[in-house]
Amino acid sequence: MVRICGWIIGLLALLAPICVSAQPARPHSVLVLDQSDLRGPFHYQLWSGLRGVLDARAGVRVTIYGENLDLPRFGGAVYTESLKRHLKEKYRDRPIDVIVSMGRGMLEHTLSWRAELWPDTPIVFAMLDERDLAKLEQQSNVTGVILKNSMAGAIKAARAVVPDLDTVALVGDAWERQALFSHWSEEIPAATSGLNVIDIVGQKMSDIRKRVAELPERSAIIYTGVFSDGEGTFYPAATAFGMIAEKANRPIIVGAEPLLAMGGIGGYVLLATEIGTEAAKIALRILNGERAGDIPPARAGVKPLFSWPQMQRWNVSESSLPEGSEVRFREQTFLERYRWQSMAVVAALLLQAGLITFLLHERHLRHDAEVESRNRMSELAHVNRNATAGELSSSIAHELNQPLGSILTNAETAELILRSDNPDLEEVREILADIKRDDQRAGEVIRRLRAFLKRTPFETREVDLNEIMNEAFKFLSVQASGRNVALYLQTAPGELRINGDPIQLQQVILNLVVNSMDAMSAIPYGRTVIGRTELNGGSAVEISISDSGPGIPSDKLSQVFDPFFTTKDQGMGIGLSIARSIILAHKGNIWAENQTGGGATFHFTLPLAA
Amino acid sequence: MQGHVHVVDDDASFRTAIERRLKLAGYQVATYPSAQQLLDCLPDDSEPGCILLDVHIPGLSGPELQGRLNELGLTLPIVFLTGHADTPTTVRTIKAGAEDFLTKPVESEQLLGAIARAMARHATVRDERSRLGEVRALAAELTPREQQVFGLVVRGKLNKQIAHELGTTERTIKAHRHQVMEKMKTRSLAELVTLAERLGMLG
Repeated sequence: MVRICGWIIGLLALLAPICVSAQPARPHSVLVLDQSDLRGPFHYQLWSGLRGVLDARAGVRVTIYGENLDLPRFGGAVYTESLKRHLKEKYRDRPIDVIVSMGRGMLEHTLSWRAELWPDTPIVFAMLDERDLAKLEQQSNVTGVILKNSMAGAIKAARAVVPDLDTVALVGDAWERQALFSHWSEEIPAATSGLNVIDIVGQKMSDIRKRVAELPERSAIIYTGVFSDGEGTFYPAATAFGMIAEKANRPIIVGAEPLLAMGGIGGYVLLATEIGTEAAKIALRILNGERAGDIPPARAGVKPLFSWPQMQRWNVSESSLPEGSEVRFREQTFLERYRWQSMAVVAALLLQAGLITFLLHERHLRHDAEVESRNRMSELAHVNRNATAGELSSSIAHELNQPLGSILTNAETAELILRSDNPDLEEVREILADIKRDDQRAGEVIRRLRAFLKRTPFETREVDLNEIMNEAFKFLSVQASGRNVALYLQTAPGELRINGDPIQLQQVILNLVVNSMDAMSAIPYGRTVIGRTELNGGSAVEISISDSGPGIPSDKLSQVFDPFFTTKDQGMGIGLSIARSIILAHKGNIWAENQTGGGATFHFTLPLAA
Repeated sequence: MQGHVHVVDDDASFRTAIERRLKLAGYQVATYPSAQQLLDCLPDDSEPGCILLDVHIPGLSGPELQGRLNELGLTLPIVFLTGHADTPTTVRTIKAGAEDFLTKPVESEQLLGAIARAMARHATVRDERSRLGEVRALAAELTPREQQVFGLVVRGKLNKQIAHELGTTERTIKAHRHQVMEKMKTRSLAELVTLAERLGMLG
């Protein structure tokens, strides 16, 4: 028996903690009493603030009951009494842990019903002006969120919006019907001192709309709240405001955040979400075990807010707004709206600019290189001309000795004539004229030679290619006959005007012809070089130099213009390479081919001068 | 000394200068701007003369003209005159019988000297040729039998040997020999041999 009792006691002892922990915790509940109508954005913001905090509570869930009593539109002792009865019945079996009471009117009702309905329930008030706080001193178990909602704030905002403000128009329902702004009526004299006041309070909607459309310059509208048209129609707050804002000819200072989006320019506005959030936080603290009396009232729910589109409309600069102001609905600038796109475009532009800079730099480098290469080419061409001149020394000697020979012979003849007894002076005069002419001829040869041998930069001018060919071939004729080469030239009729450096072009021709003559040195007879100039279409001229030599091995055709490519024992392999460089610098083409009947032909084309 | 100088040069100014100078020296002068023109109206080489020829002339060159004239058997001596003398050309022309090779500018003394030498040479050649003509005419008078005898005599054959070779008597050969000497107007065997050599019989 003792053992059995011991067993039972032991069992109970084991079960005891389990029983305690298994007992379900009662869900907490909060009753929200709101004096306003449940329509409209202000209500939604308030409730979303409340719910946001209460629903997020960890652990035990909170049940929220809500009552919107619409006190601005309904009132009177009978209505209040019926409400009390209704609430009493409604919440008879629903214990309430915290009551949240929104607005001064609602708080007054709540306090008056408290003893009968919820004697021990803590009350959290919200949307209570700090001026009303003093009246609550004697109430126990009450705390909440207070705010400073003064007309002075509205006037300050009006001055910020209209810098030279001299008039304010007060628009709203009769002050005693205003739930949130009724105390402003007492403030008017102090707040508006120095300003003209146009009182449009408690008027019919049609009159309000008429009057707000005729306000003078340098004025602003101070809007509190209109809920009815004064003729029996009640409006949601936003609707009534919209009707007035539509007609207003001056900026409207508003007292509630949602009106900013509907045409109000701004002001010290009530922030419904913040009020809801702060009230809920206090309610939560109470639910978590704190005593309402120990929680000091929090200050929250008013902030200077302004609407960007309205600021633009009334030409208000951000710097003139009160300190701490927040600007809403700021139109995003292009850059803000298309941030990524803009960045991509900017990046693309930068990239492009970088690329362009790079390419310009490259172009510059290339241009420098081209100039450098042309200079080198000119220098090499000069060296090559010296070599050519050496090779063609017989031609040069011939060209010079021809006039010199004439001069010497003529001079000696003249001497003899003068020595005779009866000198024929007329003949002497003729002789002297001949001497003079031959001297000029010799001088011309020297001049041409000097020009040919001068180290000159690449310089183009309009020249006749036929003339250049003729001169070169004439110069080469001595060389050709000395080397037993028949030299023929067939030029196209008329002039072939091209832009070129005559010295360098002559050099090309000399190089090609000398090359041809060299190529034929091994053949015993029939050495022939034929030069031709002809029009190639309407825009170019083609020059060809053909020889009767052995031709170019077909596998070497592409190499003949390479620098230092030579088949001659004495050659440097420079002549044809120089010829190509010169022709390319003249924007022409040069190529070599073998003739079907034997021998090689070198061609080059040059663009005709425009 | 008088004579005809044929100047071939493509340089008009030079032709005029040379013409003046040579005329002053007493020569007759004919000028040709190209080799072809000289070929077209070949000068008479029976008169004293020479050719003053430029090496580098367009078309037919100086040395080429020289070759053509040689082929034609023209005896006029050629003096080359060039603006630039290269060794191969010089050698080639001299080998082909050029009288001289001068380089421009040439002093008159040198030029006239060369021309005078060419003229003298031409005179010699012409004399030689005219004498040869005479000898040929004499030789043409010989009968075939006399020619046979002439050919054997100048090769040093004795009358006896010739008679044996021709199948006749020594006396007959003696008579033929006498006739040959008579007709060729020679008095000694030595003279006869010289004529035979000039006629090219001893090749």
